[in-house]
Amino acid sequence: MKTKLYVSAAALAIIAGTASAQDLKFPVGEGAFNWASMEEFKAAHGDLAGQELTIAGPWLGPDQELVESMLAYFEAATGVDVKYVGSDSFETQVRIDAEAGSAANISVFPQPGLTADLAKLGQVAALTDADAAWLQENYAAGQSWVDLATFPGADGNPALFGFFYKVDVKSLVWYSPENFADAGYDVPQTMEELKALTEKMKADGITPWCVGLGSGGATGWPATDWVEDLMLRTQSPADYDAWVNNSLKFNDPKVVAAIDEFGWFIQDGYVAGGKGAVATTDFRDSPKGLFSSPPQCMMHRQASFIPSFFPEGTEMGVDADFFYFPAYAEKDLGKPVLGAGTLFGITKDSPAARAFIDWLKVPVAHEVWMAQSGFLTPHKGVNVDLYGDATLKKMGGILLGADTFRFDGSDLMPGGVGAGSFWTGMVDYAGGKSAQDVADAIQTSWDGLK
Amino acid sequence: MDNIVGKKSTLTWAVHISMGLLVALWLFPTIGLFVSSFRTADQIATSGWWSSLSTQERQVPAIRVEGAEQQIDGRFVIEGRLFEATNAVISAWGTSSREPEAYAPDQVVELEGGATLSVAADGAYVLSSPATTEGTRLPRIFSSAATPPEFTTENYRAILFDPRNVDGMAKAFFNTLTVTIPATIIPILVAAFAAYALAWMDFPGRALLIAAIVGLLVVPLQLALIPLLKLHNEIGIGKGYLGVWLAHTGFGLPLAIYLLRNYMVGLPRDIIECAKVDGASDFQIFIKIILPLSFPALASFAIFQFLWTWNDLLVALVFLLDSSGETTVMTKQIVELLGTRGGNWEVLATAAFISIAVPLCVFFAMQKYLVRGLLAGSVK
Repeated sequence: MKTKLYVSAAALAIIAGTASAQDLKFPVGEGAFNWASMEEFKAAHGDLAGQELTIAGPWLGPDQELVESMLAYFEAATGVDVKYVGSDSFETQVRIDAEAGSAANISVFPQPGLTADLAKLGQVAALTDADAAWLQENYAAGQSWVDLATFPGADGNPALFGFFYKVDVKSLVWYSPENFADAGYDVPQTMEELKALTEKMKADGITPWCVGLGSGGATGWPATDWVEDLMLRTQSPADYDAWVNNSLKFNDPKVVAAIDEFGWFIQDGYVAGGKGAVATTDFRDSPKGLFSSPPQCMMHRQASFIPSFFPEGTEMGVDADFFYFPAYAEKDLGKPVLGAGTLFGITKDSPAARAFIDWLKVPVAHEVWMAQSGFLTPHKGVNVDLYGDATLKKMGGILLGADTFRFDGSDLMPGGVGAGSFWTGMVDYAGGKSAQDVADAIQTSWDGLK
Repeated sequence: MDNIVGKKSTLTWAVHISMGLLVALWLFPTIGLFVSSFRTADQIATSGWWSSLSTQERQVPAIRVEGAEQQIDGRFVIEGRLFEATNAVISAWGTSSREPEAYAPDQVVELEGGATLSVAADGAYVLSSPATTEGTRLPRIFSSAATPPEFTTENYRAILFDPRNVDGMAKAFFNTLTVTIPATIIPILVAAFAAYALAWMDFPGRALLIAAIVGLLVVPLQLALIPLLKLHNEIGIGKGYLGVWLAHTGFGLPLAIYLLRNYMVGLPRDIIECAKVDGASDFQIFIKIILPLSFPALASFAIFQFLWTWNDLLVALVFLLDSSGETTVMTKQIVELLGTRGGNWEVLATAAFISIAVPLCVFFAMQKYLVRGLLAGSVK
């Protein structure tokens, strides 16, 4: 298993020397990395030696080791002393620290909505127009990334406040290829086929889906991804955008239809444990049903991070695989992809922080992480052959093959809805409330925020 | 009459039974947690801790054939075992997820391409193939087996001895002590003085002051997080040990003063008046008479404050842990072990048992004072 190898390699690296941040994962000058770009960056920013740069973010454990392996190259290029601190309650902590004036230089925001809130209070420094121009030029669908990170600042003028780096793809369905083979099923190419397959499984006496919405205080979020994905598959991207900024009301028939579409997948007999178990099953336990004996379900729709919750020893591509959550053939909506990403913002300005934003433009900063695991990038200048494994490469292919890329809508909605009533509403829906009632309640809560 | 001194109440048995029930009720989750701390994530996810105590017949998830290939009589043979434990008993097995119980133990089954597979009752399998199986996908074996209880110390190893976090854990342990010991002693010192003044010194507004302190007991500390951190930043303390000590002291003082004052008020007035007549100053009375007599109350508050600061994550996150990453505490270290999305939650039970070791020692060392202290001021 690749990640296992990586982890033990990282462990060795740390035994070898406590200054692990200084050990470079891939020797400079070797492999297919774009080392020239790093040299260029070094020439432009090599005069920062001795400065300190603090970074706060949501990544912990193995993810922290991954981000630190990337930061080591920035340290090597500039001589800046970088300190990364991860927190599981980053969203709360960054608010407290920014409010009290003790924020890190760079904060890694998991959702644009949070950046927008802090930008409005003047707690995030705006990036330059040159940064925005660079994103337009060098990111696939560059303008959309710029738009997603452009908010009104403290003075009311819109500006770019965050730099997207590390993207997740959400429109994936996970399955066990051998279980499919045992039962003689094929991977569906269209939504019609997927629905037919679901019904066929039911007829064969197999439960098709595993769905789990439980996530502690965030219970309900996996269902928001379902609804967003189905919104993109039943309505136009323009409608999706209007829905996210509420110019299309939440209780519009189009949205209610998308919620009911989700309801189709979680009706009794289609989902492991029955509809009643959906809201109480933890999203981390839910994919394990694919691998039990006999299998509790055949398919699981979840974002690209989910393999870390597969049972120990599961080999990607052999024991488990994924396919694109397909679109309707009859509706002419192309191949929409739902995704999310983290954005880097400057919460305490310094020359080193500015240099770091420039560093994120360097292909090597992306390549180092993508050559390991769990990293996708829209950067057009990177060498895609460097993706650490076939799975990542396949996901990268889905990302690049998308006709429409849309950001996770609940992350863009105001916190009270996207991280509040939308979540609880979906739990109510799984509990048996009608889609119309749920949508009405969410719209009411949205109106209350205005 | 039942309640005559020296005679046992006829209801003693009821007291004993309800006592036993209460103890069992309290211990039940703890025992479950303790058993869970010796199980792997997959075990915890698939079955309850109580079922791990006896031999269980269950359907085991698919296990892929693996092992070195040997050439025997012109066939390529892989031999191996499904389970490490040698005393598991397989009742049925299969190679398809549709029919996981298709075959009996020791049955030799033909697979595609002329290969044969057999699984013995004890989990030993033999895959024999006419051509090399290298580079091909090897078959999976589903089985139903009765497996004896199986426990692992892997979780404890991962927390205590894993080279990736052993440094962090050791550092966190000493950092936590650096936070908790002063954060326990400072409030006791301040509160003892304040409590004496409020109990035995006459000054105008004393009753109001006591009422204000009792009022402070109900103020949630979350209210003070941002203003206090702002203040620390402005006066130059910033984030650090001094800040966290001050914060813990502030948050602990109302309870400390209230508890100690109520205890001290209950001390006999005669002793203090005698000392005054003999010419002792307030300070001498405090040091020589009040402090030694108040030891049970001091000790019980020390236990409270120590437990609270030891288990605290919130105050440490806000006032101690800055973005330099130099300091860390046990609670923070445990949260980090869980990973970005809480994926390694199997270490939680283990971490709980490791982290309560020190508070348990403190508790047992001082528990004889706890009950006496808790009654502080309640009986005159």
